[in-house]
Amino acid sequence: MPEEKKFPETTPASEEVRVGVYTCHCGGNISHVVRCERVTKSLGKLSNVVVARTDPSFCSDTGQAIIEKDIKELGVNRVVIGACAPSLHEQTFRNTVTRAGLNPYLYHHVGLREQDSWVHGDDKDGATEKAIRLMSAGVAKARLLIPLDPIRLGAEKQALVIGGGVAGLRSALDIARQGIRVTLVEKSPFLGGRMAQLESIFPTDEEPRQLLHELIEQAAAYPNITVLTQAEVTAVSGYVGNFNVRVTQRSRGVSDEMAEALAAACTQETPDEFNYGLTRRKVICRPYEGCYPPLPAVDWEHYDGQPIQLNGKSVVLKDEPQVHELTAGAIVLATGFDPYEPRRGEYGYGEIPEVATLPQLIRALSRVPEGEPLTWNGHPVRDVALIHCVGSRELDGVHEPQADGQVNNYCSRVCCTASLHTAVELRQRFPKLNLYELYQDIRTYGRGHEEIYRQAQAKMVRFLRYHGDERPEVAAAPAGDTHPVLVRVKDTLTYGEEIEIPVDLVVLAVGMMPRQIDSLVNMLKVSRGADRFLLEAHPKLRPVEMAVRGIVLAGTAQGPMNIQESLSAASAAAAKVASLLGQGRVELPPFVARVDESKCNGAGACVEACLEEGAIALQTFQENGREVKRAVVTPANCTGCGACVGVCPNRAIDVQAWTLAQYEAMVDAIAMETPAFSEAEK
Amino acid sequence: MDNLHVDTLVVGGGIAGMQAALDLADQGFQVALVEREPSIGGKMITLSKVFPTLDCCSCITTPKMSAVAHHPNIHLLTYCELQSIEETGSGFHAAIVQKPRYVDARKCTGCRECEYACPVTVPSPFDRGLGAYRAIRVPFSTAVPQKAVLDMENCILCGKCEKECPAGAVDFTQQPEPFEIETTTIIAASGFELTPLNAKKEYGGGKLRNVVDPLMMERFLAPTGPYGRVLRPGDGKEPTSIAYVQCAGSRDQTLGVEYCSRVCCMYAVKQAMLISGALPMADITIYYMDIRTFGKGYEQFYQNAKAMGVEFVRGKVAAIREDGEQNPVIKVELTEEGRIVERTFDLVILSLGMTPAPGSNGTTSTSLSASLGLPLGTDKFIAIPAPNANPCASARPGIFVTGTAMGPMDIVDSIVTASSAASAASAYIREHQKEAVYA
Amino acid sequence: MTSNEKGKQPKILILATLAGGYAGADATGQAHTDYPANTYILPVMCPVMFPPEFFVRAFERGIDGIIIMYSGTDSPYKVEADGTAALINRSYALMKTRGIDIRRLRLAAICTVCVKPFLKEVNQMADLLKGIGFVKDEIAAPAAA
Repeated sequence: MPEEKKFPETTPASEEVRVGVYTCHCGGNISHVVRCERVTKSLGKLSNVVVARTDPSFCSDTGQAIIEKDIKELGVNRVVIGACAPSLHEQTFRNTVTRAGLNPYLYHHVGLREQDSWVHGDDKDGATEKAIRLMSAGVAKARLLIPLDPIRLGAEKQALVIGGGVAGLRSALDIARQGIRVTLVEKSPFLGGRMAQLESIFPTDEEPRQLLHELIEQAAAYPNITVLTQAEVTAVSGYVGNFNVRVTQRSRGVSDEMAEALAAACTQETPDEFNYGLTRRKVICRPYEGCYPPLPAVDWEHYDGQPIQLNGKSVVLKDEPQVHELTAGAIVLATGFDPYEPRRGEYGYGEIPEVATLPQLIRALSRVPEGEPLTWNGHPVRDVALIHCVGSRELDGVHEPQADGQVNNYCSRVCCTASLHTAVELRQRFPKLNLYELYQDIRTYGRGHEEIYRQAQAKMVRFLRYHGDERPEVAAAPAGDTHPVLVRVKDTLTYGEEIEIPVDLVVLAVGMMPRQIDSLVNMLKVSRGADRFLLEAHPKLRPVEMAVRGIVLAGTAQGPMNIQESLSAASAAAAKVASLLGQGRVELPPFVARVDESKCNGAGACVEACLEEGAIALQTFQENGREVKRAVVTPANCTGCGACVGVCPNRAIDVQAWTLAQYEAMVDAIAMETPAFSEAEK
Repeated sequence: MDNLHVDTLVVGGGIAGMQAALDLADQGFQVALVEREPSIGGKMITLSKVFPTLDCCSCITTPKMSAVAHHPNIHLLTYCELQSIEETGSGFHAAIVQKPRYVDARKCTGCRECEYACPVTVPSPFDRGLGAYRAIRVPFSTAVPQKAVLDMENCILCGKCEKECPAGAVDFTQQPEPFEIETTTIIAASGFELTPLNAKKEYGGGKLRNVVDPLMMERFLAPTGPYGRVLRPGDGKEPTSIAYVQCAGSRDQTLGVEYCSRVCCMYAVKQAMLISGALPMADITIYYMDIRTFGKGYEQFYQNAKAMGVEFVRGKVAAIREDGEQNPVIKVELTEEGRIVERTFDLVILSLGMTPAPGSNGTTSTSLSASLGLPLGTDKFIAIPAPNANPCASARPGIFVTGTAMGPMDIVDSIVTASSAASAASAYIREHQKEAVYA
Repeated sequence: MTSNEKGKQPKILILATLAGGYAGADATGQAHTDYPANTYILPVMCPVMFPPEFFVRAFERGIDGIIIMYSGTDSPYKVEADGTAALINRSYALMKTRGIDIRRLRLAAICTVCVKPFLKEVNQMADLLKGIGFVKDEIAAPAAA
């Protein structure tokens, strides 16, 4: 196990300030626009600057070595680096200066790529002047930097996993296997999520509920894992290492002994969402035999409160929600997806009974006994059209926006293979069916997926290819026609021929949408992307972490994925949680308020302005025999917003590393009448 | 070389291997990372920019390389080859050979004086043969470690490097040095190789000078590339019409590569966008069967490229030949129009696919999997027996697979599977080493 | 037009929150969309830390326009949405007493992917400054306000 990180002895503030200034070419990304040599020349003339350099890439090993050498050999004790966005490499360079023996907070990062060279490509002079002023501001700030130590907090070796589908289960199990306790919270009464609604998984043709069963057995049996079903997170406070979470759990409603009998006696029914509304179920039920937990539960959303007659007695079911307060060092979001629900009338959906979604067809097929023919809406099915990209790859200005004004312009990634996999199954079970796949591009990208495409081609599935802006049309056939539905498509495989296909069933290969999790998003203060899925911190560097520390992503809450990909992402999320909590300790950046005791006179404006629970309070001290009041900050509860800074009449409080004096110095450098860059010309 | 005892041996120092090593090391496990080349970084460090963010690729890769090199829990072993493994009951016993650098790595400071002194110029594989370096050199500017390596095959033994080296590090007498690693788990991250440029006779069999592979185009586009701009390798002219031939090494039964290589659509779209930036007057046409931009943000990226004027034409390229001026001429069946046309371009890029990384002698495609005793799938990548239950577990308990060793995938997927493999390996280690599993 | 042709340019200071405007500016950079170069973006945790005097001081030093790009109700800080709006109102009051055109200070909610709104704000301020000129001239002639 690694030793506790120790920062180098902090540099005394009284020591002479010696600034090193480094302007990165970023392999041409910056230097093609910003004249980096001129920036260096200008900055080199500023007071306190002892060295100014450029390099093709300071983030490389050699680049970092240059900075380390300057710190060691030239006594550089403040470092300013102009490079890509700080989100990319601020941490890299903090580590660099630390290695060289400098406190990591004696370094300041200036973004010269995203905010300069990449946006002022046609104004090289302007971009260069901007770089000089921003770097000068960086030096101005650097002169006022003081050494800081991170805030060290104990971390609960406990994680919260939200979502009990395949991703949540896999994450929970993998985290628990690292010796970390896990609470798994699932909103519905049963584990398994969307995967339980499938019948066969590509490309292995395995039985999904069997795989789930094995996973649930491992997870539920794991002594480290607590499973809470019918439970929702209702409040969150705190921060990485110490999130305080309130979980509200509804009653199962029926005791284990009575569950089966009450389910049998229950007469109230509601559409069964497990079968996507194709069938009805009781309000005391289980989704399928072999589910977990195995016994029926009450569906409180739909139960009408009426008594249920059992053995001559009236039983009224009562929901007595239980509140669990728990702490968690980290949170895994595995909230999953919903299949896209087509608008009424979209490809005839909701208006023509012979139009169904692919998830509905999968459920319907599971209900057709082996050897029996396929029927739909009471008619035998002879011809089936499967339409791809429903609710995916939509185009702005072509497709009707959804309620939030957006179109789903992303690819849902799984529908092509899922649709072809279903076509192959249909062909095997009902050899006489005519099958049509209407697609834009076949995206069978995964290992073993192309094989399914080849099988579908070999099995005489007919392919028709449409353009994204000329989607197929679905209409009810005139009365007395041979088939109930007509599908019209301009088929580019026959050079744009307008083809009309009479079919008995239209299947819409619908895409994925994120689940409705607004309240979670608000409570956790996490971000969503333009596609409405949860947004990772960086798609390449940190693909399963979120920008909020301690919160990680697993599975389709992040974007469309198949089961294999969800499992990988879930295990990856577990690795991040294990790295974070494995040591039982978390370090936070020191960006919290600090009171200057020599200036604070206990006015208390800061306490009034602060909205964070327990972050700042007035305390009474004895000083030279007198009682004085002063503000005192509790760093672990301070978010560093600075609400206290602006209101203090004495300028006695500041956020560390973001002080008002530093901002004033930066503004002066930017506003400078004769900027440093013109001096360089002399 | 001293023998090592670690929790995990990671074989392969590309992005997947590096990420897996970092994830395990961050959890406090001891990791040995064995890389066959003289530097870590893999294929990723040679790329220009990454899709769909267009981040500078070396800016994403070099910090990971640096983090691996500096991590207190990672033993970085470059220019080493795994020979064989044996099960020991408590894990594996791995036989490794340190190949001779002919430079004492402990003494070398990476100053490059040897390189400046060396009179022998050799095509640089880092630049896909487009650029050159010396017979003794630091392999590339951002290499980790920054240590010189001498390539004995091309060395003329003139001794100039030895004379110039201020550290006295050059050592012509070095021999391969075998050593051993005891480990509880192994992660195979051996990566991929491109389908060879000469694989398809119809496409010129690798003989057409202005038909290049996509990794060459990455070097043209990379800021660290050999020319710093896009040009025709045949005559150095700036191309004004450029074509991409998609699925040139994938989804092709005649090549025995029946699978989709997953990344070619996106790299072609990305390169087309970057070329449009570098050569605003150039016409770029992409010939494709299906555009497979399926990842997060990828479809939007494709639509942007269309809006920028990159031309996407559905067509099957039947053949490529050369005209009298070395211009590639493409014979293509336009499948939306039902006719076959010929079109001349200045430059053609074959969007080649991914095949498993070859062995050290360049001929066998099963080197690592053979040394590890792992069965392969029909696609020749390492088989994953239960992808929908344990997506990174190989057929042998204790051996995990990540990145393109288990099939084509892009950088994001490689990073995710790397963390996933790390998670699986760490659970295995804890359970195998019989530590207290829970508090 | 390059800066050389334009001569002296008004200066726009953008105080952008790390959770909002600063990331939005980075997103604009990743989209490689051009905007005027006389824009100086400084990252802030949350803009409530600034007293109104800070802005007036900046104008007096020669900053011609200030845009605060905050995260509004999406902020990780409870205080940000209402606190910043209140701060702006107090700042406007102070600016008026100093004879500074209050249009020189603007508040805009910019999210991490707000490329278009970012560009709109920057261009609007640039256009405004073309019309109303340098702040120094305004402070020198307070009667005009």
